[in-house]
Amino acid sequence: MSTDEFRAKALAWLQQNAKPFDDNEPSSGGATIEESKAFQKGLWEAGLAGITWPKEYGGQGLGTAEQLAFNEVAADFRMPVGPFVIGLGMPAPVLLEFGTEEQKKRHIAPMLRGDEIWSQLFSEPSGGSDVASLQTSAVRVEDGWLINGQKVWTSGAQFSDFGAVLVRTDPTRPKHQGITMFIVDLHHPGVTVRPLVVATGDAPFNEVFFDDVHVPEDAVIGEVNNGWAVAVAMLRYERVTIGTGVRARANPLGYDALVELVRARGLDGDPSVRRTLAQVYARESAMRSYSAVLHQEAKAGVPIGARGSAAKLAGATFPLWVSDLVQEIFGEEIALQTRDTLPIARSILAAPGGATAGGSNEIQRNIIAERVLGLPKDAGVDKNVPFNQLKLSK
Amino acid sequence: MTLIDTDDQRDLASSVKRFVSGQAPMSAVRKTIASEASFDPDVWRRLSQELGVAGLPIPEQYGGAGASWSDLVVALRELGSGLVPTPVLATSVLATGTLLALDDEEARATWLPRFAEGTAVGTLAVSEGARRPWAVADSSVVVEDGTVTGTKTAVLNAAEADVLLVTTASGVVLVEKGAPGLTITPADALDLTRGIATVTLERTPGRLLAGDAAAAVDSVADLANLALASEQAAATKACLDMTTEYAKIRYSFGQPIGIYQGVKHPLADIYTDWALTDAAIRKASESLAEGSDTASLDAAVARHLASSGYVEAAKQTMLLHGGIGFTWEHDAHLYYRSAITGNVLLGGPAAQQDRIAEKLAV
Repeated sequence: MSTDEFRAKALAWLQQNAKPFDDNEPSSGGATIEESKAFQKGLWEAGLAGITWPKEYGGQGLGTAEQLAFNEVAADFRMPVGPFVIGLGMPAPVLLEFGTEEQKKRHIAPMLRGDEIWSQLFSEPSGGSDVASLQTSAVRVEDGWLINGQKVWTSGAQFSDFGAVLVRTDPTRPKHQGITMFIVDLHHPGVTVRPLVVATGDAPFNEVFFDDVHVPEDAVIGEVNNGWAVAVAMLRYERVTIGTGVRARANPLGYDALVELVRARGLDGDPSVRRTLAQVYARESAMRSYSAVLHQEAKAGVPIGARGSAAKLAGATFPLWVSDLVQEIFGEEIALQTRDTLPIARSILAAPGGATAGGSNEIQRNIIAERVLGLPKDAGVDKNVPFNQLKLSK
Repeated sequence: MTLIDTDDQRDLASSVKRFVSGQAPMSAVRKTIASEASFDPDVWRRLSQELGVAGLPIPEQYGGAGASWSDLVVALRELGSGLVPTPVLATSVLATGTLLALDDEEARATWLPRFAEGTAVGTLAVSEGARRPWAVADSSVVVEDGTVTGTKTAVLNAAEADVLLVTTASGVVLVEKGAPGLTITPADALDLTRGIATVTLERTPGRLLAGDAAAAVDSVADLANLALASEQAAATKACLDMTTEYAKIRYSFGQPIGIYQGVKHPLADIYTDWALTDAAIRKASESLAEGSDTASLDAAVARHLASSGYVEAAKQTMLLHGGIGFTWEHDAHLYYRSAITGNVLLGGPAAQQDRIAEKLAV
């Protein structure tokens, strides 16, 4: 099948099964988990899920051209795939890279089919930017490990079946060297999920508590005490997922939505508003081009490496920047609307969240400076000290 | 649409890069700056004849390489990175682009072969102070009885030009060097690496060229945007590299300054903006090469991002170098001057934003 035929097939399926974007519909109107699962199953059955992934694990075994064609076509549709974004964007590619044959066979296809929803559990109350200072522990018991501790900022844990959980397995080693990543069944009775209400008033994240949660030996992803390398890989995938996930029409602070609102308010004749819209379009368009460049380079065998952090940083600063600009354009209307009547009001409230989720802007800048530009690393006074001898708070 | 360099483009980039480091390093650029000339004619001749840079966008029938604008972009990157003073923008982009977009076979046959071999310099006189650039209908230059009268500002390499293409409301007029009534006043310009002049024409004989001038000149605006953006993004990267290297070797308080977040974070921001701009230029370059509907829009986006990003990078280069970056001896001010000039030349920030809005039909 040629790329054009694939594109036509994707378009035909989406026209049958997904709703096109309707800008009058409030963005909060979402699908149920069951509807999402059914949609994902349909995508997979139509050959539109796991497009570039190996066939033996349930993927389609196609190329970047098909993936880009799908992304392009799909941007015009409201696809209720939210619950799968994390699992398919982060744990799944990490399993493909580090997982055992059994783990890949067991989990990848169910994830693609919508039968398994996954979360990623890294951050803890004691550290998000400094993830490696995590304190959730696993101790060896008969037939596996026993996990105790707490995670936070976990998206989708309330409806997830499994989690990729980062845990300390050897506190006598320096902090990066005693960590292991486990596959944890989140339906285990020792797992408690509690919603975390954030600044917008929504609860998009959770706190997750582990109380004597037993996991078997084969739940380890990669090797015991080598979980940091696996985590770094997952964070790299995360940055690409977040940084390139901007879909213009889905984003109230994106160009398409802004220009429609500007027209609806009759502000499109104002030269300064036009210039502001031009700036927004320019940056958004460059973000799309950068994502396309990274895809093409990856396909040509040039590793994306830490450049994913530049995509993430750009993606996180964009809504903060546009939040400032829309205050100039729309003025007091923003103050007088609720987050449900004016979607940009909601997005303004949500914007700071994106600059901390998945590694704060400051951490991304450190990564770019150190790993892309080769500047000297921060001193890292705790790097070679056994974790159980570290000072963890005042 | 391919957004990464082809093997041929990588080869071209490395030959131009080698040429720049061998024949036109910063020490040579400084000699040119100190001289009366705005570029070294020997450097331009060799770039044209040995590397074929001048003729890259010129069709083979006129003695050029018949390559695409995206190939010229590759060469412009290397020249822009080293601030090499050449008439490439004036000749190979503005004058060549105008002749190719118009429909005047005689002018093409006369001038393009000479441009390609580096034996003639051409330029486009398009700006008129505060008037909208690139809008020929707005021009105050008058064409009458085979002569042209008026003033053009910020004309690139006018002093060295063998031929000037002058935009007017009646069309594009070709004026040759030494024509009666033609006065060229070189500016003591902010940017030391570009020759810029004011051109006044007083009943100067010229030939009105055949073709749709408004459409042709508008399409040359796209080429100018792409070319300037390519030079500027490359110079931005040169600023970033220079400052990054300095941050590794300059010590303060017992550590290289690059360890401090007050230094590394602005550099990370410059890298990120440069990476987005570089991608936008690649997109614009492909759009122009393919004749896409969005070519004008993509070129203006690239220019807008490249110009503003270069100003920021050049400014930070001076600031992060501390006192040494403020000396005449250091190259930082050469980039700063080039950045400011590039930002306002041939349609400044507001004009580019207006152009983006216009092409988006907002």
